[in-house]
Amino acid sequence: MRLIKHKQKTSILFLTLLITLTLAFLLDLALGSVSIPLNQVITILLGQQPEKPTWINIILRFRLPKALTAILAGTALGVSGLQMQTLFRNPLAGPFVLGISSGASLGVALVVLAANIINTGIIFQGILGDFSLAIAATLGAAAVLGLVLIVSRRVQDTMTLLILGLLFGYATSALVTILLYFSESQQIQTYLQWTFGSFAGVTWRQMPILAIAVILGLLVAFVQSKPLNVLLVGESYALTLGLNLEKIRFWIITSASILAGVITAFCGPIAFLGVAVPHLCRSLFNTSDHRVLMPAVTIMGAILALIADLLCTIPGNQTVLPLNSVTALIGTPVVTWVILHRYYAR
Amino acid sequence: MCQMCLAALVVACGSTNDSTTSDTISSKSKLTTGCIENYNSQTDYFPKKASVRYAQGFEVEYHKNYKVVTVKNPWQNATNKLQYILVQCGTPIPEKFSKTQVVKVPVNSIVALSSTHLPHLAKLGVVDKLIGVGDTQRVNTPEVVEKVKTGKIVGVGTNSSVNIERLLELNPELVTTFGTGNPQTDSHPKLLEAGLKVAINAEYMENTPLGRSEWLKFTALFFNQEEQAEKIFSNSAKKYEQIAMKAKAVKKRPTVFTGFNFKGTWYTPGCESYLAKYLADAGANLICLDKVTSSLPLSFEDVFNRAEAADYWLNMSQEWKTLKQAISEDNRYTAFTAVKKGNVYNNNLRVNTNGGNDYWESGISNPDIVLSDLIKILHPQILPNHSLVHYQKLS
Repeated sequence: MRLIKHKQKTSILFLTLLITLTLAFLLDLALGSVSIPLNQVITILLGQQPEKPTWINIILRFRLPKALTAILAGTALGVSGLQMQTLFRNPLAGPFVLGISSGASLGVALVVLAANIINTGIIFQGILGDFSLAIAATLGAAAVLGLVLIVSRRVQDTMTLLILGLLFGYATSALVTILLYFSESQQIQTYLQWTFGSFAGVTWRQMPILAIAVILGLLVAFVQSKPLNVLLVGESYALTLGLNLEKIRFWIITSASILAGVITAFCGPIAFLGVAVPHLCRSLFNTSDHRVLMPAVTIMGAILALIADLLCTIPGNQTVLPLNSVTALIGTPVVTWVILHRYYAR
Repeated sequence: MCQMCLAALVVACGSTNDSTTSDTISSKSKLTTGCIENYNSQTDYFPKKASVRYAQGFEVEYHKNYKVVTVKNPWQNATNKLQYILVQCGTPIPEKFSKTQVVKVPVNSIVALSSTHLPHLAKLGVVDKLIGVGDTQRVNTPEVVEKVKTGKIVGVGTNSSVNIERLLELNPELVTTFGTGNPQTDSHPKLLEAGLKVAINAEYMENTPLGRSEWLKFTALFFNQEEQAEKIFSNSAKKYEQIAMKAKAVKKRPTVFTGFNFKGTWYTPGCESYLAKYLADAGANLICLDKVTSSLPLSFEDVFNRAEAADYWLNMSQEWKTLKQAISEDNRYTAFTAVKKGNVYNNNLRVNTNGGNDYWESGISNPDIVLSDLIKILHPQILPNHSLVHYQKLS
């Protein structure tokens, strides 16, 4: 009886989340620094002519890709955060715990900052144009990921892996600092702007790559939800069930890294969403079953990212806030609450 | 923070060992003509005086053997003024100023941490006094480039990463730099603490092109080169105003927008900025933010909404030399009318191999040339014989 009730509650929650997601998506399309009347937004979305032709471009070429990017980013970061928290059995783990964002930062820093030292930037930008930052970030993230995977095959203890991930992060950020130190203020400005994070940099031309990478990562993640449940009980238990722990770990790390890496590449290192979203879902659905949590995190991540994007442009104010400050301002209360809740629950 | 600066200033000046400094200067004075041998308290040692007309940021008050230079607004939201007492070498330091920064003039050696100060030195003919710059690789001023090649000028690092030891080893009589008010990146508090004489040049705080270039006179004060500075500046200002007058008469004022998108953020200039003044004087309307002096981050869609139909697009990413580069970074640029018409000009024609852009170097000192460029772009019929110096058309 209780089980059925619980299932009902879960379905209602999912329905509410989906409605909220739709609302947030429409709101993100309707609100921005340029005020466009709601009926005009709908007119444009229905493919008809609005009063002002500029608005078509604003909705279809600016706000729509931005909102889609927010959904993809929120989803990807939420899911990889959930995977990392379960894998490391650490509530404060997030998508970047293995040094992936530091690796991506190093890639970007090499392109943006070291341009005058080793001319990488010029070569890179010359050939790749708008993809230069994304590819550099992907390569950086992949390098760190590769290292982590190699180490993870030899080191059986996940805690050691976590510490090694942190150490990779320190080493790469040290290299970035050296590059920053020798750079001109304009380059530093560009790099800093990248670290602020943004959903608005993705154009339609880049969207397919971002979408395919995220969907691939999500597919792997969803297939791995059941093994994640087993990991939750304990690695030794998983071993007694005859599961190939090494293989499971490999796929979890791979999918989490693709998700976190590709988002960092296109949107910059976006803080806190990945840590906060899984906690929100666990407390909302009151479960630790990954078959429920995985889809929940997917939707919740998208909702939070859309809200964060909405808050970056305060209606009535012409300037925009950096995305990372907004996600941190949303994320910190959540993580704080989790820590305090755990403390008092003891 | 600025109170701290002042404290550092006071401490530094109080603790500088004046006897040793004057010793080195007097030994040098036998070689140069700059020092006074027989001081007469009745003599006016500065017969040629500077008068500041456009710059709002500094003023000078002349006395018989010293001048009091005040930098009124050294950086954004500065709470204190900076004051320098420039005392004629060989004459006594006025006692009431013992606690402010005293510099003996004319100075015989200088390190300029900002490349914008280099054209001043070239114009005043004192490049031979220059012994160090921030970054030797990014210099464009020909006289300085020559001296860098012969190894007579040392690079000491730019503002936030100045190599203090190397600077101390050079031991210049004056270091010129700029301040931002951020103690983490500003070098002057440390330099003052080390006992160096540091002059803060706040030209970038000026909101007019002529105001910025008039800081030539500020540099001149330290070399007793007021006469030369007055001559050069009024010549340039006269030219500037003459061509601005011609552009004022135009019937149609094109609309111009500036800047570029980076990940959805587009820095847009304020209508009180020097850039807005430039474009107003060039007979154009700049898309800008009311009552703002600096630039503010807007969203791309906002700028698109304001500038879609604008006639010209100027001053974008320093990396762009072709329109293709711009479009390959973000193809939404093609939706701008200015791009469709091919009216896209960037201020990076003169960039040296290491990325030092002369627009930010000699451009600031020669506003008449920059204005001529702008008028040539926006109203070519006014200046048929001018060929672009800092700007290039992106195609």
